[in-house]
Amino acid sequence: MSDIQLVNLVKSYGEMQAVKKISLHIKEGEFFSLLGPSGCGKSTTLRMIAGFVMPSAGRILIGSDEVTHLPPEKRDIGIVFQNYAIFPHMSVAENIAFGLKLRKKSQAEIEITVTSALRQVGLVGYEDRYQRQLSGGEQQRVALARVLVTKPRILLLDEPLSALDKALREEMKYWIKELQRTLGITTVYVTHDQDEALTMSDRIGVMQKGRLEQVGSPEDIYERPETLFVTTFIGHSNVINVTVKGRDNGKTVVSFGANTILARALEGEVAPGSAAKLVVRPENVVIGRTGEGLPATVLTENYQGALVRYRLSLGEQEIVVERQNQSNVSRFAPGEEVGVSWDPERSEVLVA
Amino acid sequence: MRGESAIPFAFRVISWLTLAILLIPVVIVILAGLNSGDYLTFPPQGLSLRWVVAFLTSETFLPAFGTSLLIALITTLISTIIGTMAALVLSRARGRIVNALRVLFILPIVLPGIVVGLALYVFYISTDVGLARTMAGLIIGHVIVTCPFVIATVTAVLVGFDRSLEEAARSLGASPFTAFRLVTLKVISSSISAGAIFAFIISFGQFEVTLFLSGPNLQTLPITMYTALRYSFEPTAAAAGIFAIFLVVAATVTTSRITDLKRIFGR
Ligand SMILES: Nc1ncnc2c1ncn2[C@@H]1O[C@H](COP(=O)(O)OP(=O)(O)OP(=O)(O)O)[C@@H](O)[C@H]1O
Ligand SMILES: [Mg+2]
Repeated sequence: MSDIQLVNLVKSYGEMQAVKKISLHIKEGEFFSLLGPSGCGKSTTLRMIAGFVMPSAGRILIGSDEVTHLPPEKRDIGIVFQNYAIFPHMSVAENIAFGLKLRKKSQAEIEITVTSALRQVGLVGYEDRYQRQLSGGEQQRVALARVLVTKPRILLLDEPLSALDKALREEMKYWIKELQRTLGITTVYVTHDQDEALTMSDRIGVMQKGRLEQVGSPEDIYERPETLFVTTFIGHSNVINVTVKGRDNGKTVVSFGANTILARALEGEVAPGSAAKLVVRPENVVIGRTGEGLPATVLTENYQGALVRYRLSLGEQEIVVERQNQSNVSRFAPGEEVGVSWDPERSEVLVA
Repeated sequence: MRGESAIPFAFRVISWLTLAILLIPVVIVILAGLNSGDYLTFPPQGLSLRWVVAFLTSETFLPAFGTSLLIALITTLISTIIGTMAALVLSRARGRIVNALRVLFILPIVLPGIVVGLALYVFYISTDVGLARTMAGLIIGHVIVTCPFVIATVTAVLVGFDRSLEEAARSLGASPFTAFRLVTLKVISSSISAGAIFAFIISFGQFEVTLFLSGPNLQTLPITMYTALRYSFEPTAAAAGIFAIFLVVAATVTTSRITDLKRIFGR
């Protein structure tokens, strides 16, 4: 078994808590992303799993083994760093053979393994190159090959794509995901890029200020954010200040200004009259003629090719709406009176 | 702009000129050592191997050359090991004490050799540790003088050393010591050899500190040359200089063959 369990994991640097009591179960074979803004403690968490940072409190289990106090070399992990950390004094082949030599494999076995690893990462013919003769993407592949030949139980990646240009990042994103799927290796992926997390992960843990805000599938995180932070961090969201009125038919009734509308049911009890935030994604808002929904006024129209983005004033507040730019849909001009609506199930009420 | 080089033409002229000026003393010493006249003069009165032979058969110069070589080798070995270890500690540990230590370790570079020599001399004779006028005492002096150069060169590279290389090695199964041996040490090896060359050259030519610590039976080449020139102005000293120059050049070339010095100086 190679699942990972973090139990009440804490890391403090003096007064500052970089990681605050994280508990998490990463399943065997899962691609799990830790997503969050800079400084939220993603790397610290990953480095605790790797064994480079000793937790201040809590436990780490890989499979059924407690590894909390084991040094990194005894944990049977593979880690790829942001800068790839290719040994500059060794050729590509020697880099890949490094872990195998430490494991006292025979020369013949090492040669066979290195050759097949080079084939796997598409670097046949690169054996004798050195780090300074490799592009970022190639170094990335060498780093992965070097790790994978040692057959680690878990794979840890710390922002492995952030040093690459956009086109290569896209390519590597799918390549890494595909490789991970083929190998079925439990993977923890640290990133601050939501697109990476959403496209690659089986599950995502969103972190903020050392805490796990929400753990769930990409759909959960995107469609059903549980906290205001997740809502605003993932994609763009309209956040409307509302007052909770009560419940109706399993939905929540909220009001703002002169408007009263329904939204997805709140979990738990909320006293009527309490302030809350109504969250709607721009692509879920439908614009129609006046009378079709809540009255609103177009402030600006922003043409973006496949999309047209509108800024509208709705009551006292502003919202952003995105529409697919198809030939059969009409466009709206600034100043025009329109009506807006959305599926209550596609809107979220978060109690502030 | 012509060729691949982006260095302005004027700069290149200046650097060649500088190099030429720096090489003048070397040329003078070599020519003076090959002088056929009786006195140390320049330009030489004619060329001959007379004084080279005199050096090779000398009862003072040749042993002094050997002593200097031996002291330089031992000093280099000790300074390189101590200096590398000190550089590792100084570049990795944090805190106020370490900052103070950093200054302290580099201090002998800026301290006049006379002061170091005098201090050691007074210390040796007044404490009766049995180091006065001994080779051990002299080597200690040379280590104090040369060690900071090793520390400085090795620290310069360690500051830019990427710790994730060590971490990568650890994650691949290496113990802390193995990771250090197979990765860190290899990556910083050229700076260690550069430091070793500095230590060797400085120790071999060391004069002021040696002046205080040498004795009648402990004469290094610089001291012997100095003494000889004070009493008789004969070209044997220059001939000895030729050998000193060749030794230093040979040491540098060998070391740079072993490790890639270009990586240190060429970057
Ligand atoms: N060795 C350390 N000593 C003191 N504070 C540290 C140390 N390492 C990390 N921190 C602090 O812990 C917090 C979390 O750092 P961490 O590197 O985990 O952030 P991150 O989420 O990986 O951010 P980024 O996206 O910028 O890499 C930061 O505020 C950082 O300043
Ligand atoms: Mg980080």
